[in-house]
Amino acid sequence: MASSEITSGALVTLQDLHPSSPYFKQGASLRVTGKTRETFLSQGHYCRVPVSLITYHFTQAKGKSGLHDYSVETAIATIVDGSERLKINTQHLRELSFRVGSIYQFIGELLIQPDNEAVLQARMGRNVDGIDLNLYHQSLQLLRQFQADHLKKPAT
Amino acid sequence: MEHSLYNTHVKLLAFDLNSLTQTSSSSSSDPISFSRNGALLSRAETVGTVTSRDLKPNKFLRFTIDDGTGCVSCILWLNQISSPYFSRRSPPDVRLIAQHALRFAAEIKLGVVARVRGKITSYRGVTQITVSDVVIERDPNVEMLHWLDCIRLARKVYNIIPHSNK
Repeated sequence: MASSEITSGALVTLQDLHPSSPYFKQGASLRVTGKTRETFLSQGHYCRVPVSLITYHFTQAKGKSGLHDYSVETAIATIVDGSERLKINTQHLRELSFRVGSIYQFIGELLIQPDNEAVLQARMGRNVDGIDLNLYHQSLQLLRQFQADHLKKPAT
Repeated sequence: MEHSLYNTHVKLLAFDLNSLTQTSSSSSSDPISFSRNGALLSRAETVGTVTSRDLKPNKFLRFTIDDGTGCVSCILWLNQISSPYFSRRSPPDVRLIAQHALRFAAEIKLGVVARVRGKITSYRGVTQITVSDVVIERDPNVEMLHWLDCIRLARKVYNIIPHSNK
């Protein structure tokens, strides 16, 4: 598989993902980091929660979302960073176990729903407990500045 | 062309590595040479998440490292025992190289963060790393330190070498 077929997940913070952000685009490949939190359950949704796991397997209830009854199963987790939060679809990460309160990093594509809520369709995920989030945010700023400088004056 | 970095594993971010200048060379062993800012390069080091993995048993493992600035294509050869390229080397050495390559291939799994070193090569015009060494990184802060290393080295060393040695 050639690298050209795989899109790099741009490094973003949850604070970057507001509707006017250049990263807030349908299908954008992103890498996000945040702490897992419990997902709110809507009325009419059925939930199976394995002990110590927070990957919720929802079965969409008839009439609630407009989907066909019991035809769609998803696995949605929510991560938070400060006051920002983002839903993560983890259905392709069956081997990853989740713990509430742990910090995870996901790479995937952004799906913006008709109500303008974004869900990251994760293709990679890992536990990053122990990460220094302050250092992460500062390093990210330095990295973006370096890339911007490089674009102005390529070093080739 | 500046040669002082030629035998160094330069730490480059993916977007930087993928924009190296490729030049056809008269050398049969290295038909393409790579340069950055006038400095000739032959080896590189990258750190990032493994986001694709394509194994051809007894031939090669092709995989992708995503460091957040781009993707680096990597190839790890697994054909040392059968390849005529290694026929002049001593069989124990070749077996050792093959054993290391097999261990690296087993460690490269989707989602892990890997530090990869190797030779800069080209496949169908795309810059890649022909892997000689793999370390799986478990400390979640390692990627950040690699970014900062790359930035510092580019600003303090890689960007200024041609001007100070011409």
